[in-house]
Amino acid sequence: MNIMLLYGTETGNAEMLAEDIMAELDGDHDVECRNLSDFAPDEFDRSRLHMIVCSTYGDGELPASAQPFAEALKAAAPSLSGIHFAIFGLGDSEYEETFNFGSKGLAELLASHGAVQIGERITHDASGSDMAEDLAFPWAARMVALAEEKIGENA
Amino acid sequence: MSRAVAIVGSGPSGCYLAQALLKAAPELRLDLVDRLPVPYGLVRYGVAPDHQGTKGVIRQFERLFERQGAGFVGNVAVGEDVGLDDLRAAYDAVVLAAGLSADRTLGIAGETLEGVHRAGRLTRALYEHPDAEPLPELGPRVIIMGNGNVAIDIVRLLAKTPDELAGSDLGPVPSAWLAGSGIEEIEIVGRSPAAAAKFDAVMVKELAKLEGVRIRVLGAGASDDPEGAKKIAALEAIDGHGAGPRRITFRFGLTPMELAGEGGRISEARFQDAQGRAIALPCSAFVTAIGFGAEGVLPRDALIGSAADREAGVLAPGLYATGWFRRGPQGTIPDNRADAQLLATRILADLEAEGTPAQKPGRNAFPAWARAVGYEGWKRIDAAEIAAAPENRCRVKIASRETMLALALQTEECPQ
Repeated sequence: MNIMLLYGTETGNAEMLAEDIMAELDGDHDVECRNLSDFAPDEFDRSRLHMIVCSTYGDGELPASAQPFAEALKAAAPSLSGIHFAIFGLGDSEYEETFNFGSKGLAELLASHGAVQIGERITHDASGSDMAEDLAFPWAARMVALAEEKIGENA
Repeated sequence: MSRAVAIVGSGPSGCYLAQALLKAAPELRLDLVDRLPVPYGLVRYGVAPDHQGTKGVIRQFERLFERQGAGFVGNVAVGEDVGLDDLRAAYDAVVLAAGLSADRTLGIAGETLEGVHRAGRLTRALYEHPDAEPLPELGPRVIIMGNGNVAIDIVRLLAKTPDELAGSDLGPVPSAWLAGSGIEEIEIVGRSPAAAAKFDAVMVKELAKLEGVRIRVLGAGASDDPEGAKKIAALEAIDGHGAGPRRITFRFGLTPMELAGEGGRISEARFQDAQGRAIALPCSAFVTAIGFGAEGVLPRDALIGSAADREAGVLAPGLYATGWFRRGPQGTIPDNRADAQLLATRILADLEAEGTPAQKPGRNAFPAWARAVGYEGWKRIDAAEIAAAPENRCRVKIASRETMLALALQTEECPQ
């Protein structure tokens, strides 16, 4: 599977998790890992799975490195039909009203431009007892399996 | 051999800088030198004990030592145990990331009265810093002067019921102190209007989860500025919250004029409002939470004052500064990350431009560091703290330097 692994980060936690997922998938798959701040909306590719790791910052906002991407996407308003993405969120349930709003907002934004979400959005809770990678590695494996069906079918 | 870099201070600014340096130049010989036997600075001793999620950045910083080859040199105070000039002679680059630990003061009459406290000292006691003073008696009516996130942390912790501290790492002594505080009224007073307050809106909104309080907000005003409007909206959202026994009152636009009392103990704080009217608030304790300044043996003011390029963090050839030490007490944890990435680029460019001078010895210049606390020693402290945590706590901090050192250096049996 050809995978573009993207992360939106503020403190670096999402970046670290993305690098861990990359190390986990690399070898079996062709993975490129990039900060959302270095990714343009016209780089989406129908033949790839876009796997996104995104945190939440402040009052339920997108993290700093995802904000320019979101602004660019809103401004360019491209059609993302036929684009597949899967998304994993990082949040903190101490702030329950806006828990994981960053990944939620980003998923909604991509969907509003026609991109198709694969699988469910999994969220990690920094105030919980799970390690992020213990949730993220099985999630990544499931998403790749799902994407192989879907992108394979459409190809 | 590779270049040697020493970072003074292992809090978020030092750790983010180490991370950025080692990502770009994994071959560097890099040491983080800390005056405490434990790493992570304000992540451990400044982030509130009920904000464990915020402390999650520690998992990134552990990799510095576990995978990226950084060294931890704990219990070594630069300026005391080792001179800054000696450190500069031994390393190709030295970065001061020592933070700012002294509380700013108001400079008004009555600040030396009994019952007047400083936020940094109070939080060090609450968060069990090894150099902390004992927790003070606050009495029933507490005024917090200041409108930053530290002020909100103190309001929240003073207002919480024991049940609301479950899952935190607040220690048994501070927990018992809070449970028995007898606080009835907490007033948080800002000199500026609410729109110019420094706290984050999310910190204010969090107060709406408190069960043992009733909250009122006086004179929050209005604002055209989006950031200011966000703060006011957060305050309006919590105004009127709850029917608990402790009252929290927010007041704004009050300039502190004088603290007054009888028998050497504070009983009243006097302010002036924007219209010049005098306002007196009775209190049994007054806590200043108005920011931080330099303290300790590093001559920060002189170093920053004579900096070659302060904005870039360059103090002198081979000497740099980052984090609060460079820019002053503003900004939260991720601001240090952005700062660090810029400074790392600059340092690596400077090292590159120097060519290939004689090998600097790095830590080998200091045989006495054989008795410093290394990362393995810290991990013994860490493991002991986690293992000893009671059921409703995630950790119990070891508050005494002697006990930390005994564990880290294994000079005696681990005390229970």
